[in-house]
Amino acid sequence: MRTYLLNRAWQSLLTLILATVVVFLGVRALPGDPALALAGEDRSPETLAAIRLQYGLDQSIPVQFGHFVNNILHGDLGTSIRTGTPVSSMMRTALPVTLQLAVFAIVLATIVGVGAGVVAAAKRGRPAEWVANGLALIGLSVPHFWLGLVAILYLAVATGLFPASGFVPFTENPVENLHHILLPVVILGTGLSAVIMRQTRSATLDALSADYVRTAKAKGLRPSAVIGRHALRNSLIVVVTIAGLQLGELISGAVVTEQIFGLPGFGKMTLDAVFQRDYPVIQAVVLVTATAYIAINFLVDLLYSLIDPRIRVGGEAA
Amino acid sequence: MTNRAPGTTGSHRRRTALIALASALTVSMAAACSAVSTDGGASPGSSGAQPGANGAAAGEAFGSPAKADEVKQGGKLVMALSAEPDQLDPTLSRSLYSRYVFHAMCEKLYDVDADARIVPQLATALPTVTDGGKTVTIPVREGAKFSDGSIMDAAAVKATFERNLTLAGSGRKSELGPITSVEAPNASTVVVHYKEPFAPLTAALADRAGMVLNPKTTKALGNRFSTDPSCVGPFKLVKRVPQNSIELAKDPNYYDADKVHFDSISYRIITDANIRAANLRSGDVQVADSLSAQEVPNLRNEKSLTVLQSQSLGYQGVSFNVGNVDGVGTPAKKVNRASANEPKIREAFKYAIDRAGLVKVIFNDLASVACSPISPKSEFSSEAAQRCSPHDPAKAKQLLTEAGVKMPYEVTMITSNNPDSLRLAQALQSMVKEGGFDLKIQPVEYATLLDQQDRGDFELLQLGWSGRIDPDANITNFVGTGGSQNVSGYNNADLDAILTKARQGQDVAERRGLYAQAVEKVQADNPIIYIYRQFNLTGVANTVKGIQVFPDGVVRVAFGGFSK
Amino acid sequence: MSTTEAPLTPGPSVADGDADAPREVGRRRRIVRRLIGNPLAVISFAVLLVAVVVAVFAPWIAPYSPEQTDFARTFAPPGTSGHLLGTDDLGRDVLSRLILGSRASLEVGLLAVATALVVGVPLGLASGYFRSLDAVISRFTDLLLAFPFLILAVGLAAIRGASLGNAAVAIGIAQIPGFIRLVRSETLRLKSLDFVTASIVDGAGDLWVLGKHVLPNATSVILVQATVAIPAAILGEAVLSFLGLGIQPPDPSLGTMLATAQQFAARAPWTAILPGVTIMVLVLAFNIFGDSLRDALDPKGSRS
Repeated sequence: MRTYLLNRAWQSLLTLILATVVVFLGVRALPGDPALALAGEDRSPETLAAIRLQYGLDQSIPVQFGHFVNNILHGDLGTSIRTGTPVSSMMRTALPVTLQLAVFAIVLATIVGVGAGVVAAAKRGRPAEWVANGLALIGLSVPHFWLGLVAILYLAVATGLFPASGFVPFTENPVENLHHILLPVVILGTGLSAVIMRQTRSATLDALSADYVRTAKAKGLRPSAVIGRHALRNSLIVVVTIAGLQLGELISGAVVTEQIFGLPGFGKMTLDAVFQRDYPVIQAVVLVTATAYIAINFLVDLLYSLIDPRIRVGGEAA
Repeated sequence: MTNRAPGTTGSHRRRTALIALASALTVSMAAACSAVSTDGGASPGSSGAQPGANGAAAGEAFGSPAKADEVKQGGKLVMALSAEPDQLDPTLSRSLYSRYVFHAMCEKLYDVDADARIVPQLATALPTVTDGGKTVTIPVREGAKFSDGSIMDAAAVKATFERNLTLAGSGRKSELGPITSVEAPNASTVVVHYKEPFAPLTAALADRAGMVLNPKTTKALGNRFSTDPSCVGPFKLVKRVPQNSIELAKDPNYYDADKVHFDSISYRIITDANIRAANLRSGDVQVADSLSAQEVPNLRNEKSLTVLQSQSLGYQGVSFNVGNVDGVGTPAKKVNRASANEPKIREAFKYAIDRAGLVKVIFNDLASVACSPISPKSEFSSEAAQRCSPHDPAKAKQLLTEAGVKMPYEVTMITSNNPDSLRLAQALQSMVKEGGFDLKIQPVEYATLLDQQDRGDFELLQLGWSGRIDPDANITNFVGTGGSQNVSGYNNADLDAILTKARQGQDVAERRGLYAQAVEKVQADNPIIYIYRQFNLTGVANTVKGIQVFPDGVVRVAFGGFSK
Repeated sequence: MSTTEAPLTPGPSVADGDADAPREVGRRRRIVRRLIGNPLAVISFAVLLVAVVVAVFAPWIAPYSPEQTDFARTFAPPGTSGHLLGTDDLGRDVLSRLILGSRASLEVGLLAVATALVVGVPLGLASGYFRSLDAVISRFTDLLLAFPFLILAVGLAAIRGASLGNAAVAIGIAQIPGFIRLVRSETLRLKSLDFVTASIVDGAGDLWVLGKHVLPNATSVILVQATVAIPAAILGEAVLSFLGLGIQPPDPSLGTMLATAQQFAARAPWTAILPGVTIMVLVLAFNIFGDSLRDALDPKGSRS
């Protein structure tokens, strides 16, 4: 067990280091010059030179990389070229927005997905299953950004039931916060709930056909009790897995959702940074998401290996 | 989606209803008049003018200043901003949108009125120019206070000049021209010395270069001034949440505080035009800038809203690469392309463009045709400077034949990949077909576009300029030899001579004549083909009064108020 | 963008791992029979077939050139004579653009998955079969997975410039890890099965074992994964084009149509709704067919 953990930790660290190098070189491979993007209409040679000097863009790539690594090791993610503010403080304002969006979406998707999945499995061959399956397929197939646009068009603009965009921090006004975040959460949660529903359904079906459940049934336990006790537990493992593996998907989804609903979150910050060639922000974002991804998967693996030690025999390096 | 074409939103200069600036009654009367009847013609009034049949004659609606008896004190104004302002430091700011916020917190030596004329703000009169244009004397207002209560005086103006000239990364240095020194002989006089005469100074001082900064703050914060900016203004910064909002509160130290009605202003960044409009409709915001031309007719039908419109001082057009081989600013070299070497091809392209048609299809007539870098609103404009070539596909074909090229003649245009630019490009593509051109569109990301245009890696590109009050800033950099934005790589010694003379000239009539000549030169060679001028379209809820937009495009909200 | 189920596949494995030729034929027949017996599979397959036929013959089927503008007839509503589904902001025929846009979507979907297959399958085989390569390839997989898909695709599209091919490759690269992992775990499983072990013990070459035993038996899982990956790529293209990084105008793309239509959604809702519905139908057909295929391949046959 210890060897396994050490091994996994070392692998994670290696991935992180690789990610750091790749993103550093990757952003510099983007065509375009951050100084030009920043200078906007004041593009005199002196302005450009001053910007490059200020952000160290005039130095050679290895020197820049040295600074970058050195700063990270000192806990400094750098300063945004576009806004002139430290990236860490941008993250402090942007991350809570995205976290709230993502966590709410996961919670919503779990409730809907697990519920629908269990119903679909329990009511096999009945209309309820068809409806649940159909909705899940549609949820998987609909482009989320389009769903967002349609929701804005018909639920926000036409009726005024929801604000079309914007964000109010929870600490400032909880009611308004929920009012603003509800539509984006539903949109982001749609696809996820479809995934969870389908996984739950098949996990539940597996569980229902397992010997111990058949035994329980044979002993006269009520079906609902069987499902509640055995099948649901399986489903929760599914949810944990999805939370880990779908993190990247979730962030991608959040990027577009935030873009459409004008939420000042992590995804929107990232997209703006890519378009503006804001190197420090892109680097920091990838570093943070990669770390989160690796950490979550490490935890998921850990949980798994605790639940079922056989898993690590397969050597699934997540 | 976030990226936009250069100068997508025209704007410039700044600031607010004159009524509050100068205490003199006469001045406020003048402003009130000019705001409703502009020389653009067409119906004034708050509901906005109907655009004319052809774009050039379209009307404007700037909004009117708030009358003291129709507004109440207090309340928080919420304005939707179409883009996030960059640093709130007038020296370092590079984004046009920062001016929307600055206008409420950082007053300038000079301002612009509804006729794009320069009027005093923190100065008390227009500058006096002596010594053949090399000495400029500016009288400075007395009794104004910065947001921390300290006194604004000539020494502060001098310190601001020096900061703008020397701070690393200053965006203002080039706007100020060849200054040798700045003096403050007494508390209310600033004298600027020049190596060569520099006429565009006054116009520059009606923008960010003219914002007077609190020397205490600049000293304490250095290049981090934007974290706690302090200027003279009706409002001051309270809080900024990046990507989301900027909150201002009324500044009790402001010299004309009794003209200020709102308690606070909240700018919310909403980049999507539809969503800005939706928020305006729902009443969540009272003011929204840069409305979509497609949406304006619908908005004009709403009783609760008013749409203000003013013509941008800038222009939008296309630019041929005629000599940019080694990058912008380097000496022009021969480009191996017929469109670079044969002016007749470029002229043909000009005749192939149906400007009025484009304006109608793409902008619903909420833009005006443009054939010149000088806005017809400018006092430096003249009939000669506005001369326009007609849409004449037959002539275009004839010119292509004369140039000896095969038709359809293929031209590749790079353009920004935002939906607006792409629509324009596609409309252009199908229009020039008739004139014998096969226009290929190559959409690129905005950051890539900037890079390609500066490197000279293009044949034709779509470009735009938000415009400045002084014509020099709209022409010289773009077509003058070695100009920092002369991405065409155009060089013409005769034109350079005219532009230098115009820049140094102190007499309006003389400069007007020179700019007419300059336009003629540009139109003969067509390195840039000017196509249209945008309208600054601003939506205002009828619950507020006194919101104005002048030709500089800045939405002036600081002296408005909620209706009684 | 789409939330695919791809990465989850290390669940119950689908294929039965025997390579007995006669049984294999019987199995194929059984699968086809099951597919035909499933009305949803038939319908979705029919939709896909129609989509492919329309795509192949698009230039002849579309009533207009998708680029042909008509400035006198902009925003004609659906049902206007001559324009069944109306016209857009530049007076172009929406139906023609949908047809050509669907074709582009299919092209991107196939091209992206082809990219992912070409890179992902060999790497997955190598990773699962050769222990020495496993660590390296797994780090590479982790690395790709550590970048959020959209950031990766946006970055690649920005580096390589926006075009149909580049968008497809960017999406394909983002899909590589899914294939590597799937093929790797399938290889690990097959490798431990008796007939493969026996073949190895008999001294068969590694490539021969991989080509003769492992790959053929992994085909069905790969096929199922591909039917999940194609619709995901179609959605990915729509998102990239929506952000201005996919297929470039004037070539029609469903995503670009949506991006443009966003501005006019209130005035001309059909320009926004039709491309969205078209994307949904295409993706739905793939997903349903993929599901049916998975069920048909399932030896237990328990989840129709």
